[in-house]
Amino acid sequence: MFRYVIKRLLEGIPLLFFISLILFLLMMNVGDPIATMGGRTITRPEDRERLKRQLGLDKPIIVQYAYWLAGNDWTTVDVDGDGVPDKQGTRKGILRGDFGTSLVTKKPVTELVGERIPNTLILMVAAEVVTILFAMLLGIYSALRQYSAMDNFMTTLLFVAYSMPIFFVSLASMYVFAILFKRWGLPYLPTVGMFDPQVGKTASQILSHMVLPVFTLSVPYFAAYSRYIRGTMLEVMNQDYVRTAKSKGLPRRQVVYIHALKNAAMPIVTVVGLDLPFLLGGAVVTERIFAWPGMGRLFFDHVSRSDLPVVMGILMLVAVAVVLFQILTDVFYAWLDPRIRYD
Amino acid sequence: MKRNLSLLCSVLMMAAIMLTACGGGGGGGGAATPAASESDSKTGSEYGSAAEKKVATFIWVQEFTTLSPLYSTGWFTSITRQFWNCWAWQYDENNKPYPYLVTEIPSFENGGISEDGLVITLHLRDDIKWSDGEPITSDDFKFTWEMTIDPKNVVSSTYPYDNVVSIDTPDAQTVVMNFETPFAPWQSLWQGMVPAHILRPVFEADGTLDNAEWNNNPSVGCGPYNFAEWESGSFARFVRNDNFFNAPAKIDEIFIRFVPDDASQTAALVAGDALLGAFIPYSEAAKLKDAGITIMTQPSGYNEGLFFQVSEEFSHPAMLDVNVRKAIAMSIDFDSFNQDVNLGLVQTPGSFWDSLPFYNDPAMEPYPYDPEAAKKLLDEAGWVDSNGDGTRDKEGVEFVIQHGTTTRDVRQEFQAVAQQQLAEVGIKLEILNYDSDIFWGTYADGGPTYTGELDLQEWSDAPYGFPDPDVYYWLCSEMPNNDYPSGSNSFFLCDEELDALVQLQSTQLDPAERQKTISQINQIFHDKVYWLGIWQDPDVWAVSPKLTGVKFSGVTPFFNITEWDLTQ
Amino acid sequence: MTAHTPSIPQLTDDLSTPPLTLWQMGWLRFRRHKMALAGVVILILLLAFSFGGTVFYSEKEANFTDTSLRLQPPSVQHPFGTDTIGRDILARTIYGGQISLFIGIISVVIETLLGILVGALAGYYGGWVDSLLMRITEALLNIPTIFLLLVMAKFFGNEIPEIEIGGRVFSGSVIVIVVIIGATSWMYLARIVRAEFLSLKENEFVLAARATGTSNMQIIFLHILPNTFAPIIVSSTLSVANAILSEAYISFLGLGVQPPTATWGNMLDSSANYLDSAPWLWFFPGMLILLTVLSINFLGDGLRDALDPRSRTV
Repeated sequence: MFRYVIKRLLEGIPLLFFISLILFLLMMNVGDPIATMGGRTITRPEDRERLKRQLGLDKPIIVQYAYWLAGNDWTTVDVDGDGVPDKQGTRKGILRGDFGTSLVTKKPVTELVGERIPNTLILMVAAEVVTILFAMLLGIYSALRQYSAMDNFMTTLLFVAYSMPIFFVSLASMYVFAILFKRWGLPYLPTVGMFDPQVGKTASQILSHMVLPVFTLSVPYFAAYSRYIRGTMLEVMNQDYVRTAKSKGLPRRQVVYIHALKNAAMPIVTVVGLDLPFLLGGAVVTERIFAWPGMGRLFFDHVSRSDLPVVMGILMLVAVAVVLFQILTDVFYAWLDPRIRYD
Repeated sequence: MKRNLSLLCSVLMMAAIMLTACGGGGGGGGAATPAASESDSKTGSEYGSAAEKKVATFIWVQEFTTLSPLYSTGWFTSITRQFWNCWAWQYDENNKPYPYLVTEIPSFENGGISEDGLVITLHLRDDIKWSDGEPITSDDFKFTWEMTIDPKNVVSSTYPYDNVVSIDTPDAQTVVMNFETPFAPWQSLWQGMVPAHILRPVFEADGTLDNAEWNNNPSVGCGPYNFAEWESGSFARFVRNDNFFNAPAKIDEIFIRFVPDDASQTAALVAGDALLGAFIPYSEAAKLKDAGITIMTQPSGYNEGLFFQVSEEFSHPAMLDVNVRKAIAMSIDFDSFNQDVNLGLVQTPGSFWDSLPFYNDPAMEPYPYDPEAAKKLLDEAGWVDSNGDGTRDKEGVEFVIQHGTTTRDVRQEFQAVAQQQLAEVGIKLEILNYDSDIFWGTYADGGPTYTGELDLQEWSDAPYGFPDPDVYYWLCSEMPNNDYPSGSNSFFLCDEELDALVQLQSTQLDPAERQKTISQINQIFHDKVYWLGIWQDPDVWAVSPKLTGVKFSGVTPFFNITEWDLTQ
Repeated sequence: MTAHTPSIPQLTDDLSTPPLTLWQMGWLRFRRHKMALAGVVILILLLAFSFGGTVFYSEKEANFTDTSLRLQPPSVQHPFGTDTIGRDILARTIYGGQISLFIGIISVVIETLLGILVGALAGYYGGWVDSLLMRITEALLNIPTIFLLLVMAKFFGNEIPEIEIGGRVFSGSVIVIVVIIGATSWMYLARIVRAEFLSLKENEFVLAARATGTSNMQIIFLHILPNTFAPIIVSSTLSVANAILSEAYISFLGLGVQPPTATWGNMLDSSANYLDSAPWLWFFPGMLILLTVLSINFLGDGLRDALDPRSRTV
């Protein structure tokens, strides 16, 4: 097993390089970060040339990639614009942990990302937990009461939920639970941000602000997952060992929850395990609608401004997490199912 | 067994969430209970009653990226600077300058400007000081200039400081600026100061100011408020500066909330959660007015306009004919658009200097909406529909032109209307929309604007350094090419007469002479249809009736913020 | 002695009725799935709406702006109301529907072709071909789709000018969106196809084909591939729904098809500021997207139940 993990880790490294190269090349052509630095006015030509030089954007792509990867403190850069390199570079490159500084806010990328990760994790982990819980409950119920009226009704409802664009769910829930409730004088849910700034960052604030976004995020997923669980449960319930358990006279609950569910849940483990690293990326659209200060919004804001260091930093972070989690999931899966062997 | 495991995992995760969110403690109760929080403990407990502490909440739809005057020229950053930083002179609600850090505005009459215009002298007040008590002296002025032009600092713009050749500081209250050629837009200097006593040591230690803590956490300022706190993505707070050198502000604290879009801004204003909103789109104005919020507009020089690309190399041949351009001007019903879509809140500007009546004199009238006259002009120019496909043509070339702009909603609406109205006179308009950072990509980047792809370009612009009337991108020398890839003349227009006048006006320090030059330029723009106004683009503010004493300037918006007060 | 054999009741011989093919069995099973049938009916109605609606409204009418009639609620002249510059929403949903459906279907065609190609080659040849193709697939899968969509949408931007197909002129960004969605979703299908190929290539019929000297290409496309049609059909059908949703997503973020070409997605985007003041702006395009995606999902579900050879019921 240990050898298997090492082998997977080593395989992951060229993969990550490959990903970084593709993404870097894509990002190079998505617009000019200097173009919007003038704010409401157009950036002046002299400033454009100076900024291009100072930010290292006048170098060929491959050189920029090298600087991003390995830094530029092993070479000199031209600071005063006379064409002659005079100062030692200060960047260490991502391989040494220097994610660079944002072209837009001039803050280090690690600081920007560090500020946002906890917010994203709070939201996404909560959404994932809600999704799994509800998916299991609904899936099991559906499987046990297959083709009953309730099952059909719920199936239709879940299909509808699954078919709506996610922002439609957000906007509709915002409309109902915030706007309409307020209009009718009922207690209503907040829709902007993570907490009410005048009250402060308390747990109750965060929880109340979390309700709508978590609801929005989990609805399409538990609709899909519950169908999936229903499917695997049905498959499992038809197996011989379940019939044996039933005929042994075991109570229904034990049969369902202990024997059937255990095995039906295994594919879910894989799916959830593969989903987890993407949680780091946040949810671009939902965070935008609810103004949740998370990674998704950070990504979107900075992609629009062509802020290469931040965008690449986030993408690589997620890519590394995905590779790690894939290995973790495989290991966990092997541990769960003794029949699986990787050597 | 496995089920217990997953249950345990869920419990652990929930616990993790609770712990991260909790921070300082308590959490029970609703939003009204001021619980202890991670942030400044003052936040919660002092909201007892408004009479004790006056806090005004403002809404910004865009978060500033930095607070430093050196590193960003975004609009929201510069207006926020007004709370805690200071300018040499401020502008009132009529956009007229008045002295602020100086004793008087330099001019020829008072000797502040030398006869040849190459030396401008500032006399500083002796009672001005930073919020920590240190006096503001000529050393600070010199330091601000030095830091702006130093190549070790990656500042957002060196303009206009790069026009100052040297600064002498004979004493603490005198600043002498030396220029190489007369620089008419000198009043756009000194729009934000940097404290030498705090930052010089930082510069000497780090070799640059790029990473200075002060940029995002200005401990020392010179405005009526001091910076208190900034939580990225959520809010920023400014508290009254009790060391302020002018009369202190009446409101104790300004609280700025960041929201993602106009709809949330409107919701917050209507609900009374905020007292001021900025950059209000006209589509929201009706809703706000109905809720009793006052909409105040203040000309700030910006007008949305159509820029014509007139170049033999890049433009459609029809665009080179001034009569065709006149026909286009008369084919689009700007007034109806402003009436209906902009809700009658703005007019069609007739001149690029529409908000500077001194320079728009005689005032230019926009072309009338007259499609019949337009059709006649086009017929006379030889553009007729000879093949019956609905589009005019001449010598085998169809009259199809490209119109490009950024992706703002109201611009896209205008494009659709213009497309239809031009189709009615037989001109086919192709619509192209880009994200701003692609639209403004330079010639070197292959951006559409600077590589001659767009016959008609649309954006909102003001004379540079408003209320200074300076313009520069119609200069022949600004045309982008391989030797000058950052050129800003996206119209590839080289009109000798215009070029000479534009160069002249930026050297004329005498307002009367400059006014004559600019009115000639104004006339050329109108007669040769180089620029068409679409709608005026003033600053639009939404002010709650609870705020009193509010006035705005188009240049230094919060010039009288010390007089603003809260009523119940 | 003359005895005559007692008459034995004639039993119908099971073997005399021909066995059902996979498709016939599939159809029988499909018929029982009422939701799927409903889905098919709704889809046909929607297609009729989008493509047949052109009889009632010309494209010019759909793009006709009259700013004095802006933001009018549904009425007799404008059954779905008017938008912010006075265009009739019903007409725009008809023409917008054409684009949305076009995007959905064509991007899935691209995705299916790419997925089959990559999956078949990787599964059949194995070895370094498999390794390389799977590394590429994994690399793309490791990047969250929405990130990939955003970056590619900005990358291709406005490269393509207006184009004309079938008498309709629309913005080149439609082609860009089709390519982007196709290029970011083929990975799932590639994995499914590869898995199928891995298991099928060891079968005897493949060995037999090789023994008779059939070329590799022929084996892949004429022998093995037809056996994998069932999961491909199911996956592709469901991908159409995903493509329509992705289009709505990117449009909502402002990077989709550029106005004035309408799609259901970008109509939703421009309605975001008028949530409660002009609900007809988002209600109609939203419902149309919902109905389309819903019926495709039902259809896909039905197809999955019908064509899955491992399912035991008939």
